[in-house]
Amino acid sequence: MASLDYAYRRLVNTLGPERVARSEFERMVYSHDFASLPKIALLQWKLYPDFVALPQTTEEVAALVKLSDESLLQITPRGGGTGWYGGSVPNRGGVMVDMRKMNHVVAFDPDGRTVTVEAGATWKDLEDFVESKGFALPIVPVNAIGSTVGGAINTGSTGFGAPRGGSLRDAIARLLVVLPDGSLLKTASDSDADGQLANLTPLFFGAEGTLGIIAEATLRVVPKPESSKAIAYAFPSLAASARFLKEIVESALVPFHAALASRDHFIFERALRPDSPDPSDVALVAVQGSKDEVADQERTVDGLAAKENGAKLVPALADQLWRDRYNNYSARRLSRGLVTSYNLIPVSRLPEAVDRAVEIRDKLKLNGAVQAFLVDSTTAALVPYVLMDDTRPSGGTALGFVKRMGDAAFKMNGHSMGLGLFLVFNLRKMHGRATSFISAVKVVFDPRKKINGGKTLEVWTKYPWPGLRAIPPPGMAVGLEIAAVLRRAKPTRDRFVRAYERGKEE
Amino acid sequence: MGLLRDWHYIEKAVQIPALSEVIRETLIRALFVRDDRVLPKDLIADLNRVPPVTVKVKDDGEVRKLVRVLNGEESTVSLGLSAEDYHYFRTQLGVGRTREFGVVVRPRTLLTYDWIVPEQRGVQLDFTGYAGIEFGDAHRAIAQVGATWKQLFDDGLTKGHLVPFVPTVPLDFAIGDGLYGDAPFASYRGEFASHVNALRTISPFGHRARLGFEEVANNGTAYDLLHATVPLAAEFFIPVAVALRLEAKPAARKTLTYAYDDGSKLAVALDKLSRTSQTPAWVHVTDAVASKILRPASAAEPFAVQVSIGGTASGMAAKEKAIDAAMAGFTSKNGEVPNPFDVPAAAYRKTADTVTRSLFVGEVRLPAKSVGDFVAKTRAFGDQSAAKAGIYASLRATGTVSSFPFFAAPKDRSKVYDLSKGVRAIAAKTPGAVFTSRLAHLWEEEAHFMRRMAFLRALKLTIDTAHVVQPLVSP
Repeated sequence: MASLDYAYRRLVNTLGPERVARSEFERMVYSHDFASLPKIALLQWKLYPDFVALPQTTEEVAALVKLSDESLLQITPRGGGTGWYGGSVPNRGGVMVDMRKMNHVVAFDPDGRTVTVEAGATWKDLEDFVESKGFALPIVPVNAIGSTVGGAINTGSTGFGAPRGGSLRDAIARLLVVLPDGSLLKTASDSDADGQLANLTPLFFGAEGTLGIIAEATLRVVPKPESSKAIAYAFPSLAASARFLKEIVESALVPFHAALASRDHFIFERALRPDSPDPSDVALVAVQGSKDEVADQERTVDGLAAKENGAKLVPALADQLWRDRYNNYSARRLSRGLVTSYNLIPVSRLPEAVDRAVEIRDKLKLNGAVQAFLVDSTTAALVPYVLMDDTRPSGGTALGFVKRMGDAAFKMNGHSMGLGLFLVFNLRKMHGRATSFISAVKVVFDPRKKINGGKTLEVWTKYPWPGLRAIPPPGMAVGLEIAAVLRRAKPTRDRFVRAYERGKEE
Repeated sequence: MGLLRDWHYIEKAVQIPALSEVIRETLIRALFVRDDRVLPKDLIADLNRVPPVTVKVKDDGEVRKLVRVLNGEESTVSLGLSAEDYHYFRTQLGVGRTREFGVVVRPRTLLTYDWIVPEQRGVQLDFTGYAGIEFGDAHRAIAQVGATWKQLFDDGLTKGHLVPFVPTVPLDFAIGDGLYGDAPFASYRGEFASHVNALRTISPFGHRARLGFEEVANNGTAYDLLHATVPLAAEFFIPVAVALRLEAKPAARKTLTYAYDDGSKLAVALDKLSRTSQTPAWVHVTDAVASKILRPASAAEPFAVQVSIGGTASGMAAKEKAIDAAMAGFTSKNGEVPNPFDVPAAAYRKTADTVTRSLFVGEVRLPAKSVGDFVAKTRAFGDQSAAKAGIYASLRATGTVSSFPFFAAPKDRSKVYDLSKGVRAIAAKTPGAVFTSRLAHLWEEEAHFMRRMAFLRALKLTIDTAHVVQPLVSP
């Protein structure tokens, strides 16, 4: 391996000194993603990158990838860092490639209804651009403000608009990817050829940056709807709001979006912003179509909500909830950290699933809230979160919640989302005997494990020595299970918000 | 009997010194039509070979056992055949000699034509009898690959589900034909793959392996191998059942039929419809020739568009009004004309029998606004080739039309090849159009496409190290 100073010089020669960082502070910023990690994690992983590189062009990304053949440093691509599983943090240092300077719209084709954008653009910026042209994105990932185009594709994200707009995978016309050998690959034909002409795009959907670095994405856009409306209801219980979402699917209605948030979420919001809605179990539905259709859909949704004793909120409140839809985790400011568990579960089991999430949270004596939304006619995303303070000794034990929630999702014939560095033990649970097929993909594209190695399929440590170089994935599961047990044994509940605690004591 | 096999065969063939002088396209033609003036006789014999043994599958356990026998993990004794069948099986396959055996799946109905390179010495699986459908409490179904689309559609409606995808050309396809045949299943909102949640497969090592998740979508679980391989699934593993995402049956459904006298008006209407926020179940287009086949009793207009809508009874009027506005330019509209799918199974099969007599060359995908121009050129080409042309097509929400030109011509391979070339030329001259037939895949030489194919081939060889699932063949 070349010395770090030599590697630094080569990086500076490629990008210039202003786009290569190696200071302690900058490296620290890149040592975690949205999830907070206890300091003990540094014992097994070198989470601080050796260098942070900020390329501005696809050619520069290719040059960085080729440079790693000289330096033998690992490459870790990173978008907005809004993931939760360590997919975009290093495990053995190396070069962190922050894609956020590649954030331009490359081409917009109103006739072909596509937009080509660099991978580091955020979804919110892209949405604003597309809307300024009279179009809309069929689906926008949940963390649209911070999440980048490449990041969401790499995590196999779902989001707003999925019931109507379909999967994000189907919204991708093609990708331009820098492969581990530094060459470029278009993952699908330039024409709209369906899955024909060898479409490799799905392989990169959810790949967590382990097959190559997505440099550009060509995405489908849809015409702006003639009319749209957000409608919100307060329900007597969380289960009732979940039954309401299930009824929407049963009624053959195809809303643009349908989501629920538990009362606890609004308690946290109220603690941060006095003008936030009164705490209650709320469902938010967005419908689109012609004016007549929107009115008809609203009547139908009203009828479904009434069956579950849902009280319609005033339009101004529904509009406010819709405007704030991308701010899901403000509660993080109450506790310094927050852990989210992202799961897909069958719609038919959504009422059971939300109850189970509350039960797990309460058993682990955590503060948290439950959010869920419809993905398609069979699938709902269940996204509960809990607050944690990783500066306290017990803080890290909150990570046990993610393990328990994932297990619950599998029991309900669903699955947790994301593998990254921390949840690799779920791979075999997800795919069973097909795991070897999945692993074959990495072997074909990146046999030397240059790009984001030691993640998704296996867990590398920072130690290169045999016997210590990797953690068997079940070992990670045991670690998180111990965290859950310790959490449960903790004699006191966390106390971040008084109103929340009062609610639990009542 | 697969894209990778044919592509690999041609890639290897062009490396043979004696054939390397032949232009790739000429070689593909010679291989496709089995031209003995260009190719050596033993090569022609290989191309005309048929799999010596066909197994009618009744249970996936049989497939598992068979795969283990063919990849050498078990002996033929474990197949439990009668003495007569045992000897037939061993003799036909030449078991005992140092040979590789492959296993291929036979489609129930082919829209176009068979692949160039047949299975050389292995076993063909016939899944016609493996046709069960299991509906869950949610809107999903697990259909064994031999189940027909029509059976799924009808049973689904009975049980309160709507099968969202329909075949653009109404033939009697099995669900498996979407995985290893060329069934053009699609809905207005998506392609067939977008309705597939999971595949139950038998791996090249005889294990049951599930790709995807039967009850939920496949997001955030590492590489989405399922959707990358749906059109080629049987070249990586043996699919035995498909978990499909259905929808709730709407309270009211209606098919609106619009007639157009002019291709340009049709194109404008289709483009406009796809630019609204309407989400019909499907939108199908037929020209006069196709309309006459589907509805022989009715007078055929130059173009007919059928739009299937569903929703609440109270909301149907609003939907219909919005679609009427988008479809402006039609000469007549009728809400009573039956669609090809909501008919009894016997009537559907009868229509399918008539449709299948035409010669299909494959799919041309093109922007909606180019439809009129494309149809006119295809007709003119058909007239020049003494093969009257017609078209079935369906519209997607993306504004793309998936069209299937067909010809009244005998289905001999030379004719298929020549007509395919003609359609390819028309597609090449139509802005935004692309011909995606099986032959078109072999003709394509774009660098990124070649690279993608090479990756797929490498992936196949990594997954199927036993070389048992449609093993690659060299000339």
